[in-house]
Amino acid sequence: MSAMLKIAGLGVSYGGLHALADVSLDVADGEFVTIVGPNGAGKTTLLKAISGAVRVESGHIEFRGRDVGALSPARRAALGIAHVPEGRRVFPSLTVLDNLELGSYRAAARPRRAESLEAVLALFPVLRSRAKQLAGSLSGGEQQMLALGRGLMAQPDLLLLDEPSQGLGPRIVEQIFETIAEIRRRRRLTILLVEQRVVEALELADRGYVLETGRVVLAGGRGALLADPRVQGAYLGA
Amino acid sequence: MIVADLVQYVVTGLLLGGVYALMSIGLALIFGVMRVVNFAQGDFMMLGMYLTYWLAIGYGVDPLLGALLTIPPFFVLGLLVHRVLLVHVTGHGDPQREMDAQLILTLGLSLVITNAVTMILSPEPRGIKTAYATQAFAVGPILVNQARSYAFALALLLAVLVYVFLTRTDLGKALRAAADDPEAAGYQAIDVRTMHAVAFGIGIALVAAAGGLLATYHPIEPTVGVNFIVLMFVAVVLGGLGSIPGAFIGGIVIGLVQSLTLLVLPFQLQNVGVFVAFLLVLYLRPQGLFGQRLRTV
Repeated sequence: MSAMLKIAGLGVSYGGLHALADVSLDVADGEFVTIVGPNGAGKTTLLKAISGAVRVESGHIEFRGRDVGALSPARRAALGIAHVPEGRRVFPSLTVLDNLELGSYRAAARPRRAESLEAVLALFPVLRSRAKQLAGSLSGGEQQMLALGRGLMAQPDLLLLDEPSQGLGPRIVEQIFETIAEIRRRRRLTILLVEQRVVEALELADRGYVLETGRVVLAGGRGALLADPRVQGAYLGA
Repeated sequence: MIVADLVQYVVTGLLLGGVYALMSIGLALIFGVMRVVNFAQGDFMMLGMYLTYWLAIGYGVDPLLGALLTIPPFFVLGLLVHRVLLVHVTGHGDPQREMDAQLILTLGLSLVITNAVTMILSPEPRGIKTAYATQAFAVGPILVNQARSYAFALALLLAVLVYVFLTRTDLGKALRAAADDPEAAGYQAIDVRTMHAVAFGIGIALVAAAGGLLATYHPIEPTVGVNFIVLMFVAVVLGGLGSIPGAFIGGIVIGLVQSLTLLVLPFQLQNVGVFVAFLLVLYLRPQGLFGQRLRTV
């Protein structure tokens, strides 16, 4: 399998503090990789560095063999990286439908907008009934579905998911994870998922990385990580 | 008789308000997308008046048409001002420091434009003479000035076009998305810097066109912008900062209040009513008529 995303020696700091130090990871075409770790480990910063929202201090980010480190977030999105951000970040004063349509703003996705829209609405039927409503009026769970749907509208090559379970009730969380699994089954989409819910995330993914205080402390396949005594001790309460 | 007077003032106020609404939409669009308070907005309005004047005097172009003709060149001028000046003080981090820089930049720009025009074209007021400026439609006992009616109609038309653009086109929706959440807009391949440029271009073009419409019945002089920038600010804050429909309604309300103030106060004090209404709205509804409280879900 060829590499979709290749990160080497990535360093990011905020006001002199290292948020990420020497992070290297790669995601192959068609792979589902998760990054788990505690709050403040730098998971969100890592995704933002990939999509260009934070300035990188050192290291390389390659997407489909191309160095994207100097490109603006919009240029990276145009190349096929869709970032579903932490906290959902839907456009509150726009309608649900407008939010979804903007997901396919990138030139490569625009011609297939109607087709993508049908697929997304089939995946999240609740969005169809809310199509004309302002996105800001949706519940947290609905906003998460909208954010996911907006990401899928881009028909991306790489989907970045940042804590899709955050702040949601257990039933909605289960539904969101099931949907992610379904997206994965249907499209063989390449996904990089950041989660605090270590078990759920590892069970969905092919491989995982454990990030702590800005460093990769552990990496491996799903089975190996779930069985690792350090993971069990720190995250699984075993 | 009293009722007829009242209706007369309301109609006059509405007609004034339409043009105020158009200029305020420009300011609101710039603030909404860029978070920049453009103190030079009144000066671009003044430049729009001069261009309309020049087209009318030099080439015999009707000022109503001239006002529309200001739109393309001022859109380009807006893009240039963004590219050369504003791009250095927007979107680079630390919002507080940037806000200071923006304030100094746009205020400085305002001073430079006013004084340059005074030097080059003299401070002497000018006016465009049109047949319709001194004529009125008579509706029963009510007299409706023709120039103001035409200006109102065109202002309304442009405002509707802006609304359709913002709600029906991809670019318009992208502008609103960039206003809502610039970071998330970037994730949708919407280039925020381009959106800033477009918003500034449209904002300047609208206020220049409003200036052109105003020029059909208002004297033109280099300092004319100062009187109107204040009204635009009040309209935008009244309507809720950054809200386009809000700025529109805010502009109409200001025209009405200004006109109705004349029922009880002399002409020189017509803005007193505007500021009283302004303070009242801020006291009763601090987010403005159409503003939304920040929502965190």
